[in-house]
Amino acid sequence: MLLRTRLLLLVSLSIAVSVGAVTWLIEARTHESFRQTEEERTNALVSQFRHEFDHEGEEITRGVDAVAASENMLRTVLELANGADPATYVSESAGYATAQRLDFLDLLAPDGTIISSAHWPARFGYKQRWFLDQSAPIPQQPFLQHIETSEGSTLAMLCVRTIQGHGNSYYLVGGRKLDAVLPALSTPSGLRASIYSSPGNGAGEMLGAEKDSKDSFDTAPLMPLVQKVLSQHSDTSSTVTWGGSQPRQEIVHAIALPGYAGQVPAVLLVGNSLEQEVALEHRIRDISLLIASVSVILGIIVSAFVAGRISQPVQDLAAATERIGQGNWDVHVDASASGEIGKLASAFNHMTQELTAQRERLVQSERVAAWRELARRLAHELKNPLFPLQITVENLLRARQIGPQEFDEVFRESTSTLLAEIANLKTIIGRFSDFSKMPAPELQSADLNSIVSGVVQLFQGQFSREPVPVRSELRLENVPPVAADPVLIRRVIENLVLNAIDAMPQGGKLTFRTRATEKSAVFELSDTGAGLTPEECERLFTPYYTTKQHGTGLGLAIAQSVISDHHGAISVSSKKNEGTTFHIELPLWENPASFS
Amino acid sequence: MRRTLLLLAVITNLLAASSACLAESRPRYGGSMRILLRHKVTSLDPLVESDDPATRDRIAGLMFETLTQIDSEGHARAKLASAWQAEAGNRVWVFTLRQASFHDHSEINSASVAASLRSVSPDWKITANSQQTFTIETPGPEPHLPELLALPRYAIIKRLPDGVILGTGPYTLAEWQTGEHVLLAANDDYWGGRPFPDSIDFRMGLSLREHLLERNLTLDHATEVGLDQLRPLEQAGQTVLLSRPADLLLVCFLDPGAKPRRAVDPRLREALSSAINRATINNVLLQRKGAPAGGLLPQWLTGWEFLFPASQDIERARRLRADAGTAQPLSLAYDSSDPVMKMVAERVAVDAREAGILVQTFGDLHSNSKSGQAALNADAILLRLTLGSLDATAALAELADELALPADTVSAIVKASHPEELVEIERSALADYRLIPVVRLPQALWLNSNVHEWQQLPNGEWRLDQLWVEGSR
Repeated sequence: MLLRTRLLLLVSLSIAVSVGAVTWLIEARTHESFRQTEEERTNALVSQFRHEFDHEGEEITRGVDAVAASENMLRTVLELANGADPATYVSESAGYATAQRLDFLDLLAPDGTIISSAHWPARFGYKQRWFLDQSAPIPQQPFLQHIETSEGSTLAMLCVRTIQGHGNSYYLVGGRKLDAVLPALSTPSGLRASIYSSPGNGAGEMLGAEKDSKDSFDTAPLMPLVQKVLSQHSDTSSTVTWGGSQPRQEIVHAIALPGYAGQVPAVLLVGNSLEQEVALEHRIRDISLLIASVSVILGIIVSAFVAGRISQPVQDLAAATERIGQGNWDVHVDASASGEIGKLASAFNHMTQELTAQRERLVQSERVAAWRELARRLAHELKNPLFPLQITVENLLRARQIGPQEFDEVFRESTSTLLAEIANLKTIIGRFSDFSKMPAPELQSADLNSIVSGVVQLFQGQFSREPVPVRSELRLENVPPVAADPVLIRRVIENLVLNAIDAMPQGGKLTFRTRATEKSAVFELSDTGAGLTPEECERLFTPYYTTKQHGTGLGLAIAQSVISDHHGAISVSSKKNEGTTFHIELPLWENPASFS
Repeated sequence: MRRTLLLLAVITNLLAASSACLAESRPRYGGSMRILLRHKVTSLDPLVESDDPATRDRIAGLMFETLTQIDSEGHARAKLASAWQAEAGNRVWVFTLRQASFHDHSEINSASVAASLRSVSPDWKITANSQQTFTIETPGPEPHLPELLALPRYAIIKRLPDGVILGTGPYTLAEWQTGEHVLLAANDDYWGGRPFPDSIDFRMGLSLREHLLERNLTLDHATEVGLDQLRPLEQAGQTVLLSRPADLLLVCFLDPGAKPRRAVDPRLREALSSAINRATINNVLLQRKGAPAGGLLPQWLTGWEFLFPASQDIERARRLRADAGTAQPLSLAYDSSDPVMKMVAERVAVDAREAGILVQTFGDLHSNSKSGQAALNADAILLRLTLGSLDATAALAELADELALPADTVSAIVKASHPEELVEIERSALADYRLIPVVRLPQALWLNSNVHEWQQLPNGEWRLDQLWVEGSR
């Protein structure tokens, strides 16, 4: 992956993570603030409810006290205690209830029998069961209780007062419907309140808002919450998700409303809509997403610019290095950048300059060495014929002192030797001349296998010479045509075969292999000779280097030159005492223009 | 001089006061009666269905007369018919008309009477023997035909082509505002002599409570009063006329066939009947002004009502309720314009609850009319049925008509010649507990102290023949 790409990814990721972290932080703080506000609003509403609750209770207590203390009621009780017919007083409560604005007012006999019921006169004569069933003492404070009415059970806030009549206790039970308390509450926007009334027997119902209105609670999802409060007698809260086309969340606080004898006849439900919070969170999220997107885009642009500033010199260095790898040492990068990159570029330029200088010095020294080697080889090659020439000439000078007959014979032999050595000198000079006059290859589509087969056939006679025959083995695979000059390649292979035969004076085996790779064809020739040392392998293609007694050291140098002119490669691998293998790789005949 | 003048003034005042006292002790012509009625009347025609036929009949009775009338002893007396005689085993009756005229001054005759009666009983064969005599031939023997003819529906009415109906009564229709106001003017040509008041002004849909609130009670001469208002009036020393406990409150299970209603288990109906504490309803809610009801006709009229049980048996009710198995709540409708009906209905529901029967009550303004009942979406209805006659047969026939009992029951009633037959008819009508008598209550009327000779029969029927108003002229 490119440095620029890495930088872009790193910058983008950093921005996204940063924006995400900030968003999360803001959301968390918003959530916390909302919850705090929600708690304050709920507490305020509950406090207001309790205030209204207490206020309603005080009014009920005041009303019931007023009735209980009235002369008429006292007279009624006394008359009843004196044995008056209770039927006469069946309508007694109605007037008091109206005067004191009480929804319920029952006058009960000592045994709990209803003497007069304002809200349900028809219940005359029956006993008020809930009143009788309670074992707890009669509370003086108002309390919640479910009251039976002709329409069913109703949750009411009641107050009980005892009126004594000749030693008998008559009871005055008065109260109001609890749902009158809720409308008095001023619920702020987003809050709603309702009371879940849970009678001892029968289904509960929701008091307060009109059914199906927006302020009414759907009972079913709240039942687990309500049941928890009813069973544990303690307040609790839960987040409820309301269904529908657009689900919405609401924190619902369930507060137990105490009743008679420790019962919980009702639960106050305060719902705080999370719509605003959710909307704000969505808004924060949207804005954060927008900021993140813009930041990432800007970051990409800026980081692309910065990365370009940073990576361009590095890329230039990489390209320069690649060019150096390709042999182009004359490379110079822009070192105008500041900082480490600039220092790196300067160092690179200094390095290339040093390498170029060292290479020139090396070439120069190699050239000197080559000249020295050439001089040594020339001296060696020329010294060999010159010594017989000197001896022969000295013999001729000495032969003038002997008889003419003998002189002639010596003369004849000497001239013959001189001519032979001069011919030898010509040969040596011709070889050096050939090396300097290496022709350019004429590339064409050539069948490598047929070239190899032709060479093997040519040397077949030499392979079978006695007493040290050489075995040849052909392992030729199907090889596509190569781009080569058949004559030059044939001469290279012949040279290699001759070297191999020389390397196996005791005979051996020569193996000819051809194979194809993706873009080239490979020829390998292996012998079973004495092998070469790594140092010998390294210097084997150096001109005028030879391991043979009578070699010029130009054969493999010429072979390397030919193969190189074919845009191929020649190499050698060898193991001492196991043999040597030459590898020639030639390009396939595909696009001749590429070789031009 | 000043003393003499003062003495003369005192003497003059004493003389004026004594003459006024003498004058108030005897009937006087003139004046206008104002009567408040609790219910609204939408038609005065006795043959047109009404939400409150009793109120309608009270007004109509002053305009339209029947051939006979029932006296306070329950006997048939002459009215438009001066005489009658039964022939052929009480199947053929010959009536003789008295000299009377309709309010358009046309003479009443056999033909007009026959036309009027045929519109009520098409199966009667009515033959005009002469101008003043005619024969009614009934499909079967009807020994109590004269008593039946005293029922308001048999009033003799002359129906004009333009829809106007005319009677022969002591008052003629002067003004009519449907459901609001009726003004009746004295009929100067009335065969029985001109009534004393010049007119009677009926105001409908008003209550005594409203007039008390408006402080104009002294402007009224008579007002229908509910039982719930009796106590304060009595405590205030006001004149209140109370009839015998004649009006029957009964729970009537509506015919499931008339509307897509569910049939109520007979055991549940019987359980409801056993659960009702009729004594408490009478003693407490009606303040002992009424009477528990077990039969259709009152004990004071027939003497046989004690044969029908009226006491509460809550254990039996619970057993029957348990036998009936799962049952949906019963819905009981009542006339929402009557507070007593509401109280009784709620008490029935309370008693039923004690037996494990859930009864839901609800008020309806038109529950007394047959069309209103047909439209009701209720299992049962609490009805208030007036005692139409002081004759047992006629009263039972009227109840059967109002309760839409089967035709054979009605036929058996009119054919009954012995009380035992009426007992059996009543017993069979109550056998399936579709009709559950609850209580009887009286009709109450507040009278201004300046109203005289206001007569009320034991069943609450008004007799205003001798009515006069003090200080009218």
